[in-house]
Amino acid sequence: MKRELFQSDIGESYVKAELSSGLKIYILEKPQYNSSYAVFGTKYGSIDTCFAVNGEETTVPEGIAHFLEHKLFESEDGDAFTKYAKTGAYANAFTSFDRTCYLFSCSDKFYENLDILLSFVQSPYFTKETVEKEQGIIGQEIRMYDDSPAWRVMFNMLMAMYHNHPVRIDIAGTVDSIAQIDYELLYKCYNTFYNPANMFICIAGNVDTEKVLKQIKASVKATEPVMLERINTPEPNEIVNPYVSQKLAVAQPMFCFGFKEAIKTPERSIKSKICTALLIEILAGDASPLYKKLTTEGLINDEFSSEYFNGNGYACVIFEGESKNPQRVAEEIKAEVERLKLEGIDKKLFSAVRCSMYGNAIRLFDSVEGIAMQFIDCAMNDSGLFDDIKYLRSLTAEDVYKRLLKLDIENTVLSVIEPLEDA
Amino acid sequence: MSEKTVTLAQGTEGLFIKNQRFNTTLISFNFYLPLEKQKVAANALLPFILTSCCKAYPDFSRLNYKLNKLYGARLDASTEKFGDYQLLKMSISVINDRFAIDGESLIKQSVGLLLGLIFEPSTENGAFLTEDLEREKRKAIEHIKGEFSEKRIYAKNRLIEEMYRGKVYGLGKCGTIEDVKTITGEKLYEAWENMLKTAFVRIHVIGAAMPSGLFEEISNRFSSLDRSASINPQKSRLTEAALEHREVVEHSDITQGKLCMGFSCEMSGNDNESLPMIVTNDILGGGPYSKLFSNVREKLSLCYYCSASCVRPKGLLMIESGVEAKNCSKAEAEILNQLEELKKGEISDFEFESSIKSICDSLNTYNDSLASLDTWYTLKINNPTLYSPANIAEKIKGLTKQDIIAAANGITLHTVYKLLPKEKN
Repeated sequence: MKRELFQSDIGESYVKAELSSGLKIYILEKPQYNSSYAVFGTKYGSIDTCFAVNGEETTVPEGIAHFLEHKLFESEDGDAFTKYAKTGAYANAFTSFDRTCYLFSCSDKFYENLDILLSFVQSPYFTKETVEKEQGIIGQEIRMYDDSPAWRVMFNMLMAMYHNHPVRIDIAGTVDSIAQIDYELLYKCYNTFYNPANMFICIAGNVDTEKVLKQIKASVKATEPVMLERINTPEPNEIVNPYVSQKLAVAQPMFCFGFKEAIKTPERSIKSKICTALLIEILAGDASPLYKKLTTEGLINDEFSSEYFNGNGYACVIFEGESKNPQRVAEEIKAEVERLKLEGIDKKLFSAVRCSMYGNAIRLFDSVEGIAMQFIDCAMNDSGLFDDIKYLRSLTAEDVYKRLLKLDIENTVLSVIEPLEDA
Repeated sequence: MSEKTVTLAQGTEGLFIKNQRFNTTLISFNFYLPLEKQKVAANALLPFILTSCCKAYPDFSRLNYKLNKLYGARLDASTEKFGDYQLLKMSISVINDRFAIDGESLIKQSVGLLLGLIFEPSTENGAFLTEDLEREKRKAIEHIKGEFSEKRIYAKNRLIEEMYRGKVYGLGKCGTIEDVKTITGEKLYEAWENMLKTAFVRIHVIGAAMPSGLFEEISNRFSSLDRSASINPQKSRLTEAALEHREVVEHSDITQGKLCMGFSCEMSGNDNESLPMIVTNDILGGGPYSKLFSNVREKLSLCYYCSASCVRPKGLLMIESGVEAKNCSKAEAEILNQLEELKKGEISDFEFESSIKSICDSLNTYNDSLASLDTWYTLKINNPTLYSPANIAEKIKGLTKQDIIAAANGITLHTVYKLLPKEKN
């Protein structure tokens, strides 16, 4: 087992280990805390709809990663929730575009809970009957999202932005696509993506690193690595449609406005992500001139937010919120990008925003959940937990300016949810 | 060990919770006022306008810039219903001074900022400034409209509105759009003075060390005001059992129906007496071991969520689910069936023990979160003893199945609210 200790001058340290099977493990001890948080995850999400194993290509129905997540809780000897019920832990799971994670949090019986987690994630049990039952439950989950304007406004934007990349499809799929899922397909996906070499375990809290590593090592099954290839249809740099709208039962318009980025490599570097986060705050954060203008003119409210949305093969800068006039908001954002390109980055604002992000990076260590979630990003991007702090200390206003130049105002999508006439 | 408050002025309590595990310190001001139709909207606006600007920072953008400079100090405002009271919360949290690169005192500056925001707002001639007022009114109106957009929240709000028609608890926490529109700069100023003079006030400081002189300063601020008419919050009126339940059905352009059921519970807002209800609620519709999850979702495959929640100060239990319109009656019948089982004492050892363990495990995590601790003590104002989450966990461990069954038998269906898709012609 390879292992490495990472220490930071803010008084925190963690261990990163890798088993011979390729499984990555991250542990940060918080001996003064009551609680602990653990995640067992795989680099497998809704975008992995087309792949080749040992050269054999397969296309699977949309939403299957999420379906698999639901079904993995059932094992031959009962379901994981029943086992957790005996310890009192809070357990859950989530599937996003590029990952599926199983987690628990507890203040007691950590090692018993870890056993449950390690065991059920490694024990798939799918039958015809259990698959059919889940179609009803997930069908209702999909319906719930169909009615959620916040969800729709985002996916409508992604559909108008991406021609081919599967980031444009709903994470849970559709009622029709999940009807095509059967237990054999689930096993195929499981055997491909739930290989230790593609997986990670992230733990923060009141735990003993040595004991945890020993327990994981004894539990993780020796599995031959899979020759996995993710197949992506080439994605053009250009967007599909600059504007998309849908009417739903809302009382005021909602919008999602994104800049599509032309990318040469599938992944963004950690430094580039932090630099983009700084840029977004300087451009549209709550101390920016743009935020002041939009608020004063009654164009945005406290729901306004922004993010750098990126993963394997996709990257865009997104602004979303509620507005009586989404078109104006989009125009103002574009105008501000152009203004900053001409006038440069305000050094004082840069320094204040950097200070704030530095404080937030320190604040993160107050929450075992926050640390575990950050570890997931580390595992996905092969980055370190203290990278934010390191890069925030070294990035300059010049770096942010260079990053700004890559925002292309000609390659944007505005998605709007409009109220129905009679709402 | 239970916590102790100190009296800072009439109707004004300070509570310091020493907790050395955090990199951050949190200071919250909590104002409790009676819920009243005439005042609810203006009161609800106060935390937001007060945390947007003040005499020292008349421009919200400069204030946000200052917060950034304070290493991302977080200024939060909220307004909530707490039984028949309105709870106005304003808080600031900031990383501890030892992290400041230039050795500045971040906590002292943050405390000074918060006091300035609450006590020295940006006003002129006894009124809030029009620009600030109109901005915050617009945001409040948009917030109220936004609650219609998320149907799960909307359906729950509509259930409460229908259950408490003509009663203060039926008021929206921000009032109505019409209420907000009528607020003037003068009216809001009056509401601000009223809040400072008459609200019951609780100040929380949670962190490694008590900022020196803070309680003294707060004490001086409040003592200089006429607090002779300050209120002493009483227990809220419990929900009366209905002789016959009502059903309200509405339609909207949605694909999935929302089923919300409201029940009255015979209980009291006092910790000792209402603890069984926490467990009863949880066995019915809490974790995956609960009756609703395992039957309505897992066995019948009718929904993605079906859960119960309890507002103990009001003796109110709500069950909510998202279901196909055609399955709505089936889900409703099964929910009532599961409640009947509970009343008859059909509680397995597995359900009972799982619930107690889950609740206690969760309570023991509260000490690891500033926000959880702040919320916990905010909800403890009329209890004679300020029990900690760990205290309550111990008490819950002492409950028996009989306690749970007794609490279940005090539950009566009051109102059923259904939001269904419009029928297609």
